[in-house]
Amino acid sequence: MIRYALTRLALLLLGLFVASALIFLTLRILPGDVAQMIAGINSTPEQIAAIRERLGLDAPLIAQYASWMGGIVRGDLGASLVTGTPVASELVQKAQVTVPLGLLSMLIALVIAIPFGVLSALRRGRPDGTALNVGAQALAAVPVVWAGMMLVVVFAVWLGWLPAQGFPRSGWDQPWNALRSLLLPALTIGVIEGAMLLRFVRSATLQAVGQDFVRTGAAKGLTRTQALIRHGLPSVGLSIITVLGLQVAGIIVGTVIIEQLFTLPGIGRMLVTDVGNRDLLKVQGELLVLTGFVLVVGFVVDLVHRVIDPRQREAE
Amino acid sequence: MLRRTALTATALLAAGALLLTACTNDVTPAPTQTDVTPDTDASVAVRLVLEPGNLDIRETAGAALDQILVDNVYQGLVSRTPQQDIVPTLASAYEISPDGLTYTFELREGVAFHDGQELTPADVVWSLTQVKENAAYRDSARLSRVDTITAEGQTITLTLSEPDSTLLWNLTGRAGLILKQDDDIDRKTAANGTGPYTLADWKQGDSITFARFADYWGEPAQVAEVVFSYIPDTQAALNGALAGELDVVTGFDANLIDQIEANGDFTVELGESTDKATLAINSTTGPLSDVRVRQAIRQAIDKQSIVDAIGAGQTQYGPIPSLDPGFEDLSAVAPFDPEAARALLAEAGAEDLSLTLTIPSFYGSTIPQILVSNLNDVGITLAVNPVEFPAWINDVYINQDFELSYVLHTEARDFENWANPAYYFTFDNAEVQSLFAQSLSATDDAAAAALLQQAARIVSEEHAADWLYTGASVVAVGTGIAGVPSVNVNERLNLAELVKSQE
Repeated sequence: MIRYALTRLALLLLGLFVASALIFLTLRILPGDVAQMIAGINSTPEQIAAIRERLGLDAPLIAQYASWMGGIVRGDLGASLVTGTPVASELVQKAQVTVPLGLLSMLIALVIAIPFGVLSALRRGRPDGTALNVGAQALAAVPVVWAGMMLVVVFAVWLGWLPAQGFPRSGWDQPWNALRSLLLPALTIGVIEGAMLLRFVRSATLQAVGQDFVRTGAAKGLTRTQALIRHGLPSVGLSIITVLGLQVAGIIVGTVIIEQLFTLPGIGRMLVTDVGNRDLLKVQGELLVLTGFVLVVGFVVDLVHRVIDPRQREAE
Repeated sequence: MLRRTALTATALLAAGALLLTACTNDVTPAPTQTDVTPDTDASVAVRLVLEPGNLDIRETAGAALDQILVDNVYQGLVSRTPQQDIVPTLASAYEISPDGLTYTFELREGVAFHDGQELTPADVVWSLTQVKENAAYRDSARLSRVDTITAEGQTITLTLSEPDSTLLWNLTGRAGLILKQDDDIDRKTAANGTGPYTLADWKQGDSITFARFADYWGEPAQVAEVVFSYIPDTQAALNGALAGELDVVTGFDANLIDQIEANGDFTVELGESTDKATLAINSTTGPLSDVRVRQAIRQAIDKQSIVDAIGAGQTQYGPIPSLDPGFEDLSAVAPFDPEAARALLAEAGAEDLSLTLTIPSFYGSTIPQILVSNLNDVGITLAVNPVEFPAWINDVYINQDFELSYVLHTEARDFENWANPAYYFTFDNAEVQSLFAQSLSATDDAAAAALLQQAARIVSEEHAADWLYTGASVVAVGTGIAGVPSVNVNERLNLAELVKSQE
């Protein structure tokens, strides 16, 4: 087990290193640079060159990469080329919007997916089960942007229950206001992710129903539902953890879109703005952290699998 | 009510402008005449479109900085009114010698910076000298004809090596801003000016908050704070306005006026602007070097249909918009006439022409669609290449690697780019350059404008570019809010007179 964890950790670090090189190189392909953006459209070539020199952009790429990695190893993500603000502090600031948004979306997705997924599997072939399944298929196909706009029109503009856009300037000092401004965005992502997740829960449940241990439980006198809950759900849980791990990346992409739509000052919107400003030092720091987060989630999911699933441990 | 207030303000400003011609006046901003009680604790939420990358007014380009920082936070010896007149500000009066070589400014006393320190003549000399001597500073070149900058008592004197008819105007912009000598603030994220508002907070990627500066030398602001919310998406701004989260919406879409006015909480005010929707034509190579082809493109495009599609603004047929000196109606130079366009293309042997339009993607598809259809009607196939703005700067502005390009140039009085052959307009005309130089050296405003007018006519007659429309400032103002300027707000949003009435 420990050997497995260590091997897995080494892979994680290798993955991060490869990711850092890829992020660094692909960003350099983008046309335009931050010096041109700062100098704008009434500038002279001399002004642009002076800014480039001041920001250290005239150094060879390999030297720029080395200095970035040197910082990372020391735990320093660097600072924005445009504002001089440390990348880490900006990330912490914006994470206060994005992390709760992601967690809330996931919670909404699970609340929808688990009960309705199991129900839709148990009621398979009956009208209500079919309706649930078709409904989920339809919902999963709805574009996030359209869903968000509809929710805003109904709950913010017509009913006036929730804010239409933005995040309170006081942040989490007023938790209720902060939470209110995240509800519609989280619903938008959560409902659609939930509908997708629902189909995984349904098929995992169907699979579990057919398993030997559920059938044996039923043969020993449990009802089918009791057998499923006692013996089948742990195996369904494993599938859900795996899919959730994969969906973390999907939710991050979802927040990028949704933060634009709802004008939320989170990591997604910051990333889009920074790419627009060609603030590459900041963008690469942000991307590395996001990539690291997804890799760590994958790492944790794998470890949890080992712990929960006896079959994997025995296979060693 | 709102409109009447705006009119009153306009009248006051016009009166100020009349006084100005006497050059020895003392205009302090007059309080707006309203019959309601101002809520002096009010916080006013203003939607803006484009957030500045950073706040360094000295080194970072972009109208997004000028729009909020100039006049509100930083001030110069002189400033401009929305009607584009020049009025004394940190100077109480100024005088220009008849030969146009000496400018004297009487500096106001009792002016404080936001950090509490008093403004001295030394700050003025230092600020202007810094801009003049530091080529990395924005607009440094605009002080290139200034020879010496000195102070004696409260009198600041600028002597020039040769007359510069644009100097006073340039001093209303970045080149003339007065900062505290040797200030050690980080200008990228902080500000220390003399204006009616202090920079209270910048939540990057979200909002900028200004607070009333209690020790302001003039009439203090009538609201406690202004929160600028950066909302790029128009629909989100509309939703925010309808949900009561915003008091003022700038940069609004004129096609959505009915929606925002529907429940009676907002009134949309349309104002003139110097936003020039410029279709640049690279005339250095290929068929576009033929003036007949360029004329054909201009005559193929139906400007009125573009104005109708945008929902506001006016047609423009030359490089100078109606708010700027040197404007003249040049619609006869290239009227919409597809038949004439086809004939010109045939004459030039340029049938079956294929061209590419490079356009920053945030401008959307309305204008490209009209251009594709209009040009298709005369036999030109137009490919549209939407790019990110940094890619536009790199490809079009720096490398001049383009055929047609579309950008909204917001800056007022920027004719100089037509006299600069290195500019991305690729226009190199000795006569225009000479007329512009003469205009610069003129000592009489009317003469300077007349010379610009001649030069602008040549630019249009050479079909150096096309102008699709002059933009309008579209500002939606909430009930109970007054004192919001409606002219050229992309350039300047002076909120000194902003009032919110008590509910």
